[in-house]
Amino acid sequence: MRRAVYVAVGALVVLGLATSGWAAESTLEKISRTGVFTVGTRTASPPFGFINKQNEWVGFSIDLAKQIHKNLEKKLNKSIKFELKESTPATRIPLLSSGTVDLIAGTMTDTRARRDSVDFSLTFFVTGAQFLVKADSPIRGIQDITGKRVGTQQGSTNERALREKGVQAQLVVFPDQAAAFTALVQGRVDTYTNDGIQLWGLKYKAPNPNEWKVVGDFYTYEPYGMAMRKNDSDFRAVVNNALMETIEDGEYSKIYEKWFGPKSDTPYPLTDSAKSFLLMQVVPK
Amino acid sequence: MPLSAFLGIQYDFQWSILWTGEYGHWLLQGIWTTIRLSALSWLFASFLGILAGALRTVPFRPLRALAVSYVEFFRNVPLLVWLFFWYFGAPQVLPRAAQDWLNHHGPEFWSAVVGLSVYHGARMSEVIRAGIQSIPKTLLEASVATGLSVGQAYRLIILPIALRLIIPPATNESLNLLKNSSLALTIGVAELTFMSRQVETYTAKAFEALTAGTLTYLVMCLGIAAIMTQVERRFRIPGLIARVGRAEH
Repeated sequence: MRRAVYVAVGALVVLGLATSGWAAESTLEKISRTGVFTVGTRTASPPFGFINKQNEWVGFSIDLAKQIHKNLEKKLNKSIKFELKESTPATRIPLLSSGTVDLIAGTMTDTRARRDSVDFSLTFFVTGAQFLVKADSPIRGIQDITGKRVGTQQGSTNERALREKGVQAQLVVFPDQAAAFTALVQGRVDTYTNDGIQLWGLKYKAPNPNEWKVVGDFYTYEPYGMAMRKNDSDFRAVVNNALMETIEDGEYSKIYEKWFGPKSDTPYPLTDSAKSFLLMQVVPK
Repeated sequence: MPLSAFLGIQYDFQWSILWTGEYGHWLLQGIWTTIRLSALSWLFASFLGILAGALRTVPFRPLRALAVSYVEFFRNVPLLVWLFFWYFGAPQVLPRAAQDWLNHHGPEFWSAVVGLSVYHGARMSEVIRAGIQSIPKTLLEASVATGLSVGQAYRLIILPIALRLIIPPATNESLNLLKNSSLALTIGVAELTFMSRQVETYTAKAFEALTAGTLTYLVMCLGIAAIMTQVERRFRIPGLIARVGRAEH
């Protein structure tokens, strides 16, 4: 008898899980129902998303997500709570798919393979892969890395690009930037490659920035986008409209100046071509 | 009903990525690295464990003290910290030329082997010590009384019995070692967990890749457990060790 009760309860739980899946709600409905907008971002990728010296979770991507939050409140016409969650390259897609977060705003490169699993917003930042080396290193770019030990970060598109280019270097792949940088400091690898802007971030965070150099032309194209669950065009429109308005009304430039301007920790001037590319993404009202 | 609907998530499962093209090949490479890493570390850890475990029970204080300091030093620091130490720290004391040589001969893999061996050797030695101490002291005394030296008594009488007694806890430690080998990904060893994450980052199919990794660990662990049960059955001494499987008589 007792066993029959267990079986019945188990079956009900399974059925409950199953039906909750059928009644999938849109992201806007979910945010409106729960009153919370949850964004997944990085904790150690300055200046996009990181914990600063005052122990605050800040960054360029987070500031842009806050603009989307504003737009979302306007659209739903109610006050929504803004929440951040840590997401790494390995966890960000599961977090999104399971509904734990509604948006990934970090350092995610938009790629065609990733578009099979998630939808991307407009491109909000453009960079490309370069190399970080000790100031006295003979490495000047991708042409010099044959036979060298090159540190890369797992989940980065640069690692993939190096493999696809068939470069004759020994790739050592680390799960995070901290380990890769330590390996470079200790001489376990000869150079570390990642998106240029992230290397500048590392250089400026190092105890003695003059010991380090970022070298080489961009050998990949890395357009950063924000990721959302697939096939949810209403929510995507809110995100994209918010980004377009931010670019259009000059708020983007202010945020850019704050994180990448000459007075910031990671000066990284917006090139003219990048600027016009951003503007051209803004479609008419 | 699709699995994604069952789980209540909006996700398009695509299991075929696990066996198509390079991704299946990567997973196999990862499995092979995990096996090599675990097997080598297991051999060294068993050697260190038997040595330290036996030394902790010998009737000679300096040797006991040496074994105690080894065990307490290495088992009381997290394995992750040891891996960082052996990879980032330890090679720094070598001369420049030796470091260069090491850098071109897979320092990641060998640092992981050393880290896992030394850490699990310390843990294994506790298991072996417990096995030896569960044997009545009089057996050692009786062995020595027959004219064997202490070394011979350990080698011929005490250890063969102790090693049989500790098969269940030693199996447990071996499984831990296999699973802990996944930490080697933090220092860039491309083992199974690393490769499942690698497949995930290339295909953006996280559930499939991580499920494949999880199931492979499960199968490997069950395989080891099955082998150890056979070993236990084969080497038991009737009347001395708890029987495995069906009762005789």
